[in-house]
Amino acid sequence: MHVDEFRTGLRAWLDEHDLRPVHDGSLDGHMAQLSRVRRALFDAGWMRWGWPEHAGGLGGPVILRAVLGEEVVARDLAEPGIYTLIEVLAPTLIRYASPELLGFVPKLLAGEETWCQGFSEPGTGSDLASLSTRAVRDGDAWVIDGQKVWTSLAQYARRCVLLTRTGGPGHRGISAFLVDMDSPGITVRPIETMHGRDEFAEVFFDGVRVPAARMLGAEGQGWEIAMSILPDERSSCFWQRIAYLYNRLDRLLAEAPAASPRQLGEAFLDLHAIRCRSRLTQHRRTRGDRLGAETSVDKVLLATAEQRLFDTARDLLPGAVEYGDSPWREEYLYSRAATIYGGTAEIQRNIIAKRLLSLGNE
Amino acid sequence: MIDAADLALLSEGLRSAMAEARSAAGLDAALAELGWRELLEESPDEAVALVFGLLGETGAHAPVLNDVLLHAMKRPLGGVVALREDGLAFGRPGEPSPADLDPALGLCRVAWEPLTDEALAAGRRALGLQIVGAGRTMLALAREHALARTQFGRPVAAFQAVRHRLAETLVALEGAQAALEHATDPMTAKLGKALAGRAGLTAMRHCQQVLAGIGFTAEHRFHLFARRVLVLDDLLGSASALTREIGESLEASRIVPRLVDL
Repeated sequence: MHVDEFRTGLRAWLDEHDLRPVHDGSLDGHMAQLSRVRRALFDAGWMRWGWPEHAGGLGGPVILRAVLGEEVVARDLAEPGIYTLIEVLAPTLIRYASPELLGFVPKLLAGEETWCQGFSEPGTGSDLASLSTRAVRDGDAWVIDGQKVWTSLAQYARRCVLLTRTGGPGHRGISAFLVDMDSPGITVRPIETMHGRDEFAEVFFDGVRVPAARMLGAEGQGWEIAMSILPDERSSCFWQRIAYLYNRLDRLLAEAPAASPRQLGEAFLDLHAIRCRSRLTQHRRTRGDRLGAETSVDKVLLATAEQRLFDTARDLLPGAVEYGDSPWREEYLYSRAATIYGGTAEIQRNIIAKRLLSLGNE
Repeated sequence: MIDAADLALLSEGLRSAMAEARSAAGLDAALAELGWRELLEESPDEAVALVFGLLGETGAHAPVLNDVLLHAMKRPLGGVVALREDGLAFGRPGEPSPADLDPALGLCRVAWEPLTDEALAAGRRALGLQIVGAGRTMLALAREHALARTQFGRPVAAFQAVRHRLAETLVALEGAQAALEHATDPMTAKLGKALAGRAGLTAMRHCQQVLAGIGFTAEHRFHLFARRVLVLDDLLGSASALTREIGESLEASRIVPRLVDL
């Protein structure tokens, strides 16, 4: 399946099938809409392209997933943040799960299940390798104790891709599991956030027994698994985020009574730069290049573009963020997190300095 | 299209010609000798990317922007074209012009004639690539200095504030480079030049700060690149002017163009 053919076919299909959201804007509403969109796109085949056949996909290049994401987001069919989560969950399973666990992937793609990613911990933000949630072997199971935080959609999730410590300190002591969220001993507490959409949660593990067959990869392979999602996050996910930001600049142009050319120009330049950069990154990936530290450049460009765009919106739509119930408020506030999640802007600059500029150690 | 091996060989030839050049006229002749004009006629995109990237990096100058503009206007190569309404142009042979910020550019005055859209786009792409090349050399000079210069018992490259300035420089240059690789028409060339100008000024600011005292002297090469970037940013539309123009066109059309697709 060629990109252009896919895009043309998809657009025609979306023109005929009305999947526009009809909900109240609540998180429950967004989640129901997401499932509806996934189900329809999966049944029509669009959601299966770019995923391998042995995981329920139809094969074809990964870039097709980015094209699909762009169309979904450009038409406002799903909230981009929650839509892109599967891009960092399904690939982990596809690369590291046993054939038996692979059977879960189609449920995720088809919107039958929501999953979450248990990585961050209260004491473990930027320094992910220091995580301390413990898994101890007990017969044919592992017993898990600890706490995760910033776990998106945990309150909706059927399963969790969980990082735990099974060995000593550092990278090599980490192992990953696919854990059922209805296992006894798991407690989820949603976190109230400043932007008012409580999509993050704390997850507590208190003597949770997980069958040994639920380990992803081998014991001690957890760090490799966690790092393996980077190319997915930094290609298809980013492209969808960029599409969303273009969509919001469209909206700003439509709504701003008097514009400021200089500010609009700056905001558009930032978007154009990350769009060009991201396109090159995805084509490198399609050619089979290994994506690595250089994607920190993409990450910084994207976060900068996002914050500049919403800063511009706040300037050009005076009061929209501060008064009444305009959707700009929530999105403006959420954009403040762009330089924090997925590795802070500072960590990205550290990586660029050390790995791309070879500046040695701090 | 030229193959990769030929390109690498040509790139080496160009680089040493630029390193050895004693004058703009000398380099102009050397480039002609190396087949610059034939290459420009045959594969303009590759020719411009190669030659202007290297001019930027090496800090050498030859008045070959004239050829890029003439080629885009389908006129014979070898002449001189005004770059501003006041008639400013890269002179041929290009006698140094000591009154200007960057005397090596050999600026002269000729009659002004508006550029076609194609010429403007080709010229902006070329200048953008040259600015990014110059930015990369400023970054290399600052990096070298940060690793060599020791204060408080360690290289200044070990201080996070210094590292982050250099990281920020690379991010700006890579964003501009990506845009220039997608500069295929007047609009994308305008965006590319604006991003390049912005990145060049970012590189100048951060690298000069990292170079500190030595970067303020005329005994270190940094100032040559800083002067070059300021002039190149101004020519055919500065980052500041183009950004405003781009914003005005968004405002007028109320449409955000998606200029690049997967």
